[in-house]
Amino acid sequence: MADLINLTIDGIPVAVPRGMVIVDAAKKIDNDIPVFCYHPKLKPVGMCRMCLVDVGTPKIDPATKQVVRTEDGKPVIAWMPKLQTACTTPVSEGMAVRTNTKQVLDARNNVLEFLLTSHPLDCPICDKGGECPLQNLTLAHGPGLSRFEYEAKQHNAKHVPLGDLIFLDRERCIQCSRCIRFQDDVADDHVLQFHDRGRHMEIVTFSDPPFDSYFGGNTTDICPVGALTTADFRFKARPWELDSTPSVCTHCPVGCNISLNTRLETRTGGHEIKRVMPRQNEQVNEIWTCDKGRFVHHFTRAEDRLTHPLVRDARGKLVESTWEAALQLVADKARGARVSGVIGDRIANEDAHLFGSLFSDVLKDGAVAMSPAIPAAYADIARAYGVGKDTDFKQLGKGDTILVVNGDLEESAPVWFLRLRQAVVDRGAKLVIAHDRSSKMHRYASRIVTYELGMAAHWASEQTTELSAELKSARNVLIVFGDEKLSAEGARSLARSLANILIESGHAGKANSGLLPLYPHANTQGVFDMLPATTVTTGKVDVAWLVGVGNAADVPQADFTVVQELFLTDIANNADVVLPALSFAERDGSFTSGDRRVQRFYRALPGLGQGKPDWWIIQEVAKRLGATWQYHGTSEVFAQMAQHNPYYAGLSYETLSQAEPQWPPVGRADLYYGGTAYDNSGGIGSRYAAPAEQSGFNSSLEPVVAPPVDMEALQHLPHTLYQDGELIRRSKVLSGHVRAQRKEAETA
Amino acid sequence: MTLKDKRSADIEIILSKYPTKRSAVMPLLYLAQEEYGYCSDEAIREVADLTALDPTEVKSVVGFYTMFFEEKTGQYVIEVCDDLPCALKGADAFVHHCERKLGVRAGQTTPDGKFTLRTVMCIAACDRAPVAQVNREYRYSLTPDGFDKMVDELKGTV
Repeated sequence: MADLINLTIDGIPVAVPRGMVIVDAAKKIDNDIPVFCYHPKLKPVGMCRMCLVDVGTPKIDPATKQVVRTEDGKPVIAWMPKLQTACTTPVSEGMAVRTNTKQVLDARNNVLEFLLTSHPLDCPICDKGGECPLQNLTLAHGPGLSRFEYEAKQHNAKHVPLGDLIFLDRERCIQCSRCIRFQDDVADDHVLQFHDRGRHMEIVTFSDPPFDSYFGGNTTDICPVGALTTADFRFKARPWELDSTPSVCTHCPVGCNISLNTRLETRTGGHEIKRVMPRQNEQVNEIWTCDKGRFVHHFTRAEDRLTHPLVRDARGKLVESTWEAALQLVADKARGARVSGVIGDRIANEDAHLFGSLFSDVLKDGAVAMSPAIPAAYADIARAYGVGKDTDFKQLGKGDTILVVNGDLEESAPVWFLRLRQAVVDRGAKLVIAHDRSSKMHRYASRIVTYELGMAAHWASEQTTELSAELKSARNVLIVFGDEKLSAEGARSLARSLANILIESGHAGKANSGLLPLYPHANTQGVFDMLPATTVTTGKVDVAWLVGVGNAADVPQADFTVVQELFLTDIANNADVVLPALSFAERDGSFTSGDRRVQRFYRALPGLGQGKPDWWIIQEVAKRLGATWQYHGTSEVFAQMAQHNPYYAGLSYETLSQAEPQWPPVGRADLYYGGTAYDNSGGIGSRYAAPAEQSGFNSSLEPVVAPPVDMEALQHLPHTLYQDGELIRRSKVLSGHVRAQRKEAETA
Repeated sequence: MTLKDKRSADIEIILSKYPTKRSAVMPLLYLAQEEYGYCSDEAIREVADLTALDPTEVKSVVGFYTMFFEEKTGQYVIEVCDDLPCALKGADAFVHHCERKLGVRAGQTTPDGKFTLRTVMCIAACDRAPVAQVNREYRYSLTPDGFDKMVDELKGTV
């Protein structure tokens, strides 16, 4: 990394890596060169001409090939005759850049005057108004008046649906092609292009279905004008009315950092999420999020949210009750009884820790398990041989091998798909895929293995020696795996074989190497980490206690069933007591992502009705059973947990809330640079070390025998992003996609 | 009948000329245009399929190049150059004559579907301006009379 280039920008010396363009070099010293088409995450094209600067290089004497110097020894600068685009000009040794000459300032003014010739200037009704690069840069650099005829303005269609999620306003578009380049270079869904040329150039989609991409929402963040807006947010609120709360997406193991934008609604008299925006975390989601994460939020204010405790009355009907009565009833039933607890893998660490403690410390006769059960069968292996603590996907490239086994990255962990795809396509990592069917990731694989349905574990156990030999020479080995079509035993066997491959090829317990499990939700690892190892009770128990359980197969048979839920699901509808919980947006807590990054999320909305956070409910029952717990908030629960859970030792809410400066900088005043993704407030979280990284851990091979193919597991549907479920069902904008994927699954 | 059914041999030859399929997009679009008379939506999707491109990308190519037609054209496409050298030799007046003769404006097709009249940028025959292409075939040093004769001849050939 010693290869630094020295240059001066407005006389200020700066040293940056070779290959960096002038815009980025200037950004390093907080010189904000205005741009529209340039984006630090996309390849430069130099289309908008907004970034014109004066560039010179040291004058070379043609005879001596030496730098010409003035009398006082300073190099003479040969200024280029015309202004250069700072976004496409790489820095060079001794370069001088001027960004504040009259010529440069005039150029900015003139480019803006041109861009505005046919811009509708409908800022008062534009969703981007208030956070619009064109608006801001016009104010900073543009002319107050136009010399062009108002009557000659070109008018174009203003409400063009590019798909069911994204709308295009053709007359606002300034043809920067950021959206096209994002779809081409980052998402690899080539569904947007220019059509025609010159004054008639416009953005089109001709794909079927149109603008079909899991990542389309990101184009609205990087659009420097109000041309692209989401079906969900358009005309819903003005950006300056919104409050922003840092949060973490709950829908897949990536744990994308998000900001919840909320507003007080006079109509409903309460706060609502108006939109979900990516929050920068270069270690996790950079500045992206998938469309599910962006649009699924409507469940938080769905009309059918539970708002009161419900208790089954003498006639067998669930009727509204008080917290006191409901909690007392649960405590009375649980006291001295055989209790089987099940907790879903969306539930926060703090709730899971207290639920686990309830079974280990308070209840005399009980067992606790995670739902879904299959990941619980291998989460210990995924943890032990998980990616090293200092793993950074951006470091993966040439010399590294990414092995994807039995999972579809784009469907199960969309943002990991984006990032690992770039490791392969842009930086040259080798990709090997083994699966029973094709996926989008297959496009980039240098080797593909296809096995029969349900044979993942067999394949891995048979190939261990061969693969280990092949991977020995790789610099790093990242193994992504899923549990599709496998029983719990099969999934464990697969994970164990893959761990063996890491050990045998010499990559266990290292940074940028390890297992990366495609868990179903955001906190599968966290909930597993929180629960004590208990023997699962079989047969009928006295009390079943379910916290956020969505899978009916995981519900134990019981005389009395308690459910903590957001909705009156089928499971809740069959319970004897239903306790209204709060969603992630209405409380604080933490999640542990699939790559073991522990991250905090914060309360963005007031609780709905009488709903309470799950940890509070558990504590209240525990108190009634004699526990002396006195937690006032999740921070105290986390602190207590970190004292006893070795993996989380040293972590606290303070450490998790630390944010570091990120590159490229986004979300500041210069929205034109990175787009409207939020900068990181609330913390970038912290990954705990994988046991295999720690001294004293015995990384030894374990022989694996793959269990027979499980006929029932073969019936499991492969995971798809818009798979129908209690939460996604309540998002109207996504309902078309949910229906389409349900239909696809039924016909498959 | 798809393009693949009708012109499979030509398609094979075109595809074999390039290291990657996407490079064949323009010759395949010409082939499709030859077959269908213009680059219909269906033709675009077929070419996308043949080149393993997204239909949006093919549509963009069609939209960029002026010699790909997105709408149904007449049997004969008459493209008159009205760029500077031709204009100096009276191309503007000549185009007006053509419009009168055919009874349509530049950019339109005659109601009988016979002729489409278009104006184009330089077609590299300035020394013999005014100049036009009729279905890509050059007609040099055009005069109003010559044009009328040509149109009448073409009408008779059907």
